[in-house]
Amino acid sequence: MASEVIERLRPAKGTKATSFNEREMQICTVARMVEDGKTYWVAGGGSPMYAVLLAIKLYAPGAQYITEDGVIAPEPMLPFEPVMTMVSSRAGYRALAWGTMNTAGNHAQLGLMDYGILNTLQVDQYGNINSTAIGEYNAGARRFGGPGGADSIAALCWRTILMTDQEKRKFVERVDFISSPGFLDGSEGARERAGLPSGTGPYGVVTPWAMYDYTAERRLRLVAVAPWVTVEQVLAECQYPPIVADDVATLEGPTEEELNILRTELDPRGQNTAERSAWIVYDGETYTRADG
Amino acid sequence: MQVVAEGAAEYFPVDPDGFRAYVRDNKNRALTSKLMSARDAVSRFVADGDYLVYDCNYFQRGPSTLLREIIRQEKRDLWICGKFSYVDVGLLVGAGCATKADCGFFWPGAAIDNAIREGRLQVYEYSNVVMTLRLQAGAMGLPFLPVRSFGGTDGFEYSGAKLVEDPFTGKPITLVPALNPDVAVIHVQQADVYGNARVFGTGIAHEESAMASKKVIISAEEIIDTEEIRRDPGRTSIPYYVVDAVVHAPFGAWPGNCGGYYGSDTPAVIETFAAIARDAVGEYVAKYVTPFEDDQQMFDSLIGQERLERLRANETIKDGYTA
Repeated sequence: MASEVIERLRPAKGTKATSFNEREMQICTVARMVEDGKTYWVAGGGSPMYAVLLAIKLYAPGAQYITEDGVIAPEPMLPFEPVMTMVSSRAGYRALAWGTMNTAGNHAQLGLMDYGILNTLQVDQYGNINSTAIGEYNAGARRFGGPGGADSIAALCWRTILMTDQEKRKFVERVDFISSPGFLDGSEGARERAGLPSGTGPYGVVTPWAMYDYTAERRLRLVAVAPWVTVEQVLAECQYPPIVADDVATLEGPTEEELNILRTELDPRGQNTAERSAWIVYDGETYTRADG
Repeated sequence: MQVVAEGAAEYFPVDPDGFRAYVRDNKNRALTSKLMSARDAVSRFVADGDYLVYDCNYFQRGPSTLLREIIRQEKRDLWICGKFSYVDVGLLVGAGCATKADCGFFWPGAAIDNAIREGRLQVYEYSNVVMTLRLQAGAMGLPFLPVRSFGGTDGFEYSGAKLVEDPFTGKPITLVPALNPDVAVIHVQQADVYGNARVFGTGIAHEESAMASKKVIISAEEIIDTEEIRRDPGRTSIPYYVVDAVVHAPFGAWPGNCGGYYGSDTPAVIETFAAIARDAVGEYVAKYVTPFEDDQQMFDSLIGQERLERLRANETIKDGYTA
């Protein structure tokens, strides 16, 4: 079966970059998935917002984004001060409309949000997201922030793209706590039986190493890997074995054009993209990962 | 209506008729000045055991001065609406003011984990939008609202939500209980002495929170003339008759930002995060709250006019933040 997410992935624009980190790779990959003329509900700040903004500048000038505080289609004044990603004048700058949280929630409930992009702490094979507690709930679990806006994004946007790290502890068989819904138990109609709108749900997962889609049976499927890792290396960082596509594609590395926008216009302070993340070097033929 | 599934958690009681009766008997429809100090407002309108909703949060046009006053007056056993929050829940719990929190999102850390482990904090699970929809239901005078999200999550099990068969479509639908807090604390850019309040920029649920709450305290950067309100009534976000107290609080959102007025105070923001992460809220309170009679004294002693003016200068964007 052909993969829609791979077919939709745009060719990278520009000259292949020679040095970048894996977070930048992940953002560039998501940016190339962004559809022109569609709406994206993202958290203010963070990789999903940078991916959409990069896409708007390079690939999909008519894509729009919305944040949880009811900012519709802003042209933000970057960079933001730390955590001032919503209800701030820079984040909401030159928007087409300002509302409140119920504006964003209701617009998504109406079906106006084509895509949600979510950064996730822990995600499972059905695309269920945990941002509430690691460990056994009510039995000494370490508490995290809670679903925030992610529950509404995952429930109400037509398609949800998840971003997470390719690590066994984050990419698990079953999340410890479902904060935001994927395909729940994976059975047919599980979301509808839980009262969620039909025709919604996880669409793809992008890690710095790989891209996944979901089969018609709602099973996670590996469809592409980064040029510096093998399928085996990716599978070794999954707590459970996903389906592997017959023809696993190789993702393109970032280009100088993409990185230039990302580093000089979107995140000049490196608040998001310079976080600890392995560096990759490209010598014109081979990509090499500098571990540690 | 058939209940298919329901959360097992306690939820703040739903009583629309009781709320209407409270409104009939207590909300003052006359144009009366409600201008008072933060101390008087919190003393008169925040009681131990209250359910408290704040709008936005300690870092983003939130009622930070009012939250500090609540801590200063050592209010106890508050149940708080922990949506769209960074440090607010950690501060109120760490300071001993709050013992219950409905969670949409709040910043985790040792102050939260230790409080849960030691039985000082009970958390109930929702999401940000579910909480603002609960407030919406409360603001409409309804007992509940159907929502198309939240079903199927584990949070549902630890909430007051119910999954029912919709009598109109026959499909499953989640119902969430209305929320009518005892008290709302909301920071706005401008208000008149009667409580007609203007929020500039986006917000979380200032209007819903004000309409849904029994008692409403507004703090404002500027107190403006009612003639100015009448000149542009479309800018009134919250009408006077739901408001119980108006507090003039310049830099009332510090260390957060207040759109069009000042930017955030980054070192102070980080210091607050650290207090939650280290479970050192006591030290934070001993530095910023208890030594002072009010925020004005604290600003004069610890922050200084020059630093505050710099925060004003940092807020360069004015479009959309002036009437």
